[in-house]
Amino acid sequence: MEVIKISNLKKSFDDNIVLKDINLNVSKSEVVVIMGPSGSGKSTLLRCITFLEEPDDGVVRLGEIELEAGLQHNKQRKTAVRELRQNTGFVFQQFNLFPHKTALENVMEGPIIIKKMDRHKAKEKAKELLTKVGLADRMEHYPAQLSGGQQQRVAIARALSMEPMVMLYDEPTSALDPELVREVLLVMKELAKEGMTMVVVTHEKEFAKDVADRVIFMDDGLIVEEGSSAKMFNNPEQERTRQFLHDVSEKV
Amino acid sequence: MDFSIIIESLPPLLNATLITVLLAVVSVVFALILGFFTALARISKIKVLKAIGSFYISIFRGTPLLVQIFVIYYGLPQIDIELNPIPSGVLALSLNAGAYLSESFRAAILAVDKGQMEAAVSMGMTYGQAMRRVILPQSIRIAIPTLSNTYIILIKDTSLVSVITVTELLQMSTLIIAKTFEPLTIYLLAAALYWIVITFFTALLDRLEKRTSRHVA
Repeated sequence: MEVIKISNLKKSFDDNIVLKDINLNVSKSEVVVIMGPSGSGKSTLLRCITFLEEPDDGVVRLGEIELEAGLQHNKQRKTAVRELRQNTGFVFQQFNLFPHKTALENVMEGPIIIKKMDRHKAKEKAKELLTKVGLADRMEHYPAQLSGGQQQRVAIARALSMEPMVMLYDEPTSALDPELVREVLLVMKELAKEGMTMVVVTHEKEFAKDVADRVIFMDDGLIVEEGSSAKMFNNPEQERTRQFLHDVSEKV
Repeated sequence: MDFSIIIESLPPLLNATLITVLLAVVSVVFALILGFFTALARISKIKVLKAIGSFYISIFRGTPLLVQIFVIYYGLPQIDIELNPIPSGVLALSLNAGAYLSESFRAAILAVDKGQMEAAVSMGMTYGQAMRRVILPQSIRIAIPTLSNTYIILIKDTSLVSVITVTELLQMSTLIIAKTFEPLTIYLLAAALYWIVITFFTALLDRLEKRTSRHVA
């Protein structure tokens, strides 16, 4: 069953065409890893899925929610965009935790404000989620008191608090010191095992090999090639994929 | 210098200081409200609101406060709007400080990292929810230093409304000098009282700033 269905997605910034014509389906519980050189449109694709960037053209479908690009921003439309976003958990490269709230409050915020959940219930749920990402002893800490890896795990818990149908990760470990990358990837891997549908933009090859059901290689606003991680890493068909994989594995 | 003059003048001067503080506090409350909504108008996507906000700021920052006071107190009666001295003073001070405060607010809202709004709306918050819960609490912290600055200037500017017969601290000093012929003593006393009031509010706002930034690295 498809959770996400993206059809003919196009996006330009002024004269710069970032997404040329993207078609992508993601099935339930599938983990899709998107790789590609910087400027290839990976992040923009992810941001277009939740309309953080409004696509110029195309259709995004998430479960029963369908959004066509380029329509007028009336009330009905805004409600639909919000509904789409409530069902997608977005994890940012820079975490973007709310600095004036504790870890616990960060994770309670969505359920209380958006879902109008009872405060007590939201708190219990937030505790559960923070325990799950290994931060049971950091709940009362403010983001500034946490390491990057811990902050990103809070951000994952915050995204999970809305019980999304899919998790989108935009280079979740790129802003982290190398020794903190693992703890975040482990949490993501655990979620994948539990059957969470995920789309991950990352440069972490090992993670892709280990967790991805499908690897997509993007370049120049197009999906150049896709397939199982085994095929993509051992036996890529396209010259551009080969070149990219060669470049990222090049030891200095 | 005759100390009995100080002792005799102090009670009326202290009363007048209360008027000064009252003028400043009431005006700053109105100015904060006005400044806040003007800031929202200025960052909104609605062009008319934006234009009204900019026009207001341009007028009140672009003309002297004393002229604004004269227009309101002496000018408006000509079109049948007659305000008493104190309301006139409060109106002028609020409109003037509001223009400055709105610029502080606007800068503070824009200074909050763009990722904060994105994180909030990516969860499904409305623009209003994101503003209330995420952006504004952070921008108030950022705005406090410039806000204190504007407030201190506002306290000093209350002395200008002495020209429309409000018996605040400066006006009272002048009245006492007319009887005692001790300008140096009385004006220095007035200066000391202004200094005490401003030091008090500065300390208060400093504490508020520390309190609001304690969790931020």
